[in-house]
Amino acid sequence: MEVNERKTILIDPVTRIEGHSKITLHLNEAGRVEDARLHVTQFRGFEKFCEGRPFSEMPALMARICGICPVSHLIASAKACDALLAVRIPPTADKLRRIFGLAQVVQSHALSFFHLSSPDFLLGMDADPARTNLFGVLAENPQLARDGIRLRQFGQQIIERLGGKRIHPAWVVPGGVSEPLTSVNRDAILAGVPEVLAIAERTLEWFKSVIERFREEIASFGNFPTLFLGMVKKDGGLTFYDGGIRIVNAAGGVVANGLDPAEYSQFIGEKVESFSYLKSPYYLPLGYPEGIYRVGPLARMNLADRCGTPRADQEMAEFHELQRAAVLSSFHYHHARLIEVLYCLERTEQLLNDPEILSKHVRAIARPNAEEGVGCCEAPRGTLMHHYRIDEQGLIKWANLIIATGHNSLAMNRAVLQVAKHFVRGEQITPGMLNRVEAVIRAYDPCLSCSTHATGAMALRIQIIDHLGRLRDEIERPL
Amino acid sequence: MARVLIIGYGNPLRSDDGLGWYAAVQLFRSSASRDVEVLPCHQLTPDLAEPVSHADTVMFLDSTHEGTPGELRCREIQAAEGTPSFSHHLSPQVVLGLSRDLYGAFPHAWLLTVCGKCFEPGESLSEEVAGRLPDLKERVRAVTTETLGMCPIAG
Repeated sequence: MEVNERKTILIDPVTRIEGHSKITLHLNEAGRVEDARLHVTQFRGFEKFCEGRPFSEMPALMARICGICPVSHLIASAKACDALLAVRIPPTADKLRRIFGLAQVVQSHALSFFHLSSPDFLLGMDADPARTNLFGVLAENPQLARDGIRLRQFGQQIIERLGGKRIHPAWVVPGGVSEPLTSVNRDAILAGVPEVLAIAERTLEWFKSVIERFREEIASFGNFPTLFLGMVKKDGGLTFYDGGIRIVNAAGGVVANGLDPAEYSQFIGEKVESFSYLKSPYYLPLGYPEGIYRVGPLARMNLADRCGTPRADQEMAEFHELQRAAVLSSFHYHHARLIEVLYCLERTEQLLNDPEILSKHVRAIARPNAEEGVGCCEAPRGTLMHHYRIDEQGLIKWANLIIATGHNSLAMNRAVLQVAKHFVRGEQITPGMLNRVEAVIRAYDPCLSCSTHATGAMALRIQIIDHLGRLRDEIERPL
Repeated sequence: MARVLIIGYGNPLRSDDGLGWYAAVQLFRSSASRDVEVLPCHQLTPDLAEPVSHADTVMFLDSTHEGTPGELRCREIQAAEGTPSFSHHLSPQVVLGLSRDLYGAFPHAWLLTVCGKCFEPGESLSEEVAGRLPDLKERVRAVTTETLGMCPIAG
């Protein structure tokens, strides 16, 4: 971090997130924050270099986008390929993919909560940065550290038992999955459920006991009205695998419901900003940037009528008491994340006890029957969309990905500005102030490695700002 | 729980960086004993502290930039003292330290490395490194025999 005569504060890199970014805070003469930007500084290019590849390779290729959420990309990609094949996958494959995705959510949420954010909750936002990591948690509350490791391990073990490996498993394929579940693996997973359910519940109780200390943060961490977007089941229940798109407003009113994810381009626009490789999706009918919306755990708690499992439903009911209408503060992403962990564990147990879960019929075989396919699922961080077009040989002609973190791009920028305006004072800048700016980003649990794509062009703006904060030169490549 | 834990880590899409991964995959396929657990990983993470805590002996397999390409080294290692400030890339010593501090475990630990020649994008090992895989696996078998009194890993 460097301070440039109190005119521009640069936080680079942003710590305890997945991926690379920086934040610039621009102060006025009075030392108050005037503007703030989240810059995502990495470029991946998956949408371009997959062109020309056989569509059947896409799930395995797309899983490489991210080492934290490869399963979500596998699922969304495979669903897009299912659409290209025009098949309905066997019921057992549907259930197995769901279990796979739920395990992904558990391990990803565990990483976000325990490894990245719990240091702030346990040690405080003003703690020494040298201690605000997993090792600081270990020193202060070893049980919390052990619980985080066990919960993440459980999710990864499910992925490994089903997919063959923990990172970039290729088990989900067009038409279903490549191997059925064995009784040995099913029983091994079921045996671990009671322990991790207990972990999820005691972590929720602990978090609810400490949250009172963060009233100021709750009030200022991305606490503003937006739409919320995500998939829900036909009956309005929480889902991570399949459903229609629902959009609600800050008052909790339903703006749209039952939208077909395959028609996303009718209601989602994408804007590329010059200061970041992260696209900014928005709700088309309201235009940019008024069509700002949020996705992910907080959105799902606002969108779904119920979780559909007993313990999670109890927690969800309590969560909705935080605020009438929609819960708006982004600080509550953390709480929502823990409820989702509880749901995923309960739902996994239900699915594993399904009598069909060991069936050998796990794949539908077909040739391409459509030139275009869209796959959508709810990744840990929010709605994930893969859209492919193929030629007559089944080679990818074009691909578009809308990543969960990308949906939150506008909201993250606005949240950074809100937090910075509230906490950062130019007269005396403390690590605690800057940690809060980073912490609001962490609430969204962004996966920036996943989400950096461009709609066909790379936006580039370089600004030269001197030691007095004056703009000396600017170079811009047109989009 | 396995008495011998073998953790081979690295990126198999980065040429010699994948040595630990490749070695672990081969050992996994040639081992059929509950006393030996083999974990191929992309990188060391805090989650590994738990399986480490259950083992009598842990072997970490990795490539390194130090030495002459193809040079094989095998040394005993100890748990790290103090805590790092960065949990994204852990060393074997830090994983051992986590295992000690979280679970009170003190397994014997070894770090086996082969100096790599090429770490550029690629899906195969260099000739120098590939040629040392049999020796690396033989060292693993030797340490396993020391712990168990026999070796259930096929040669």
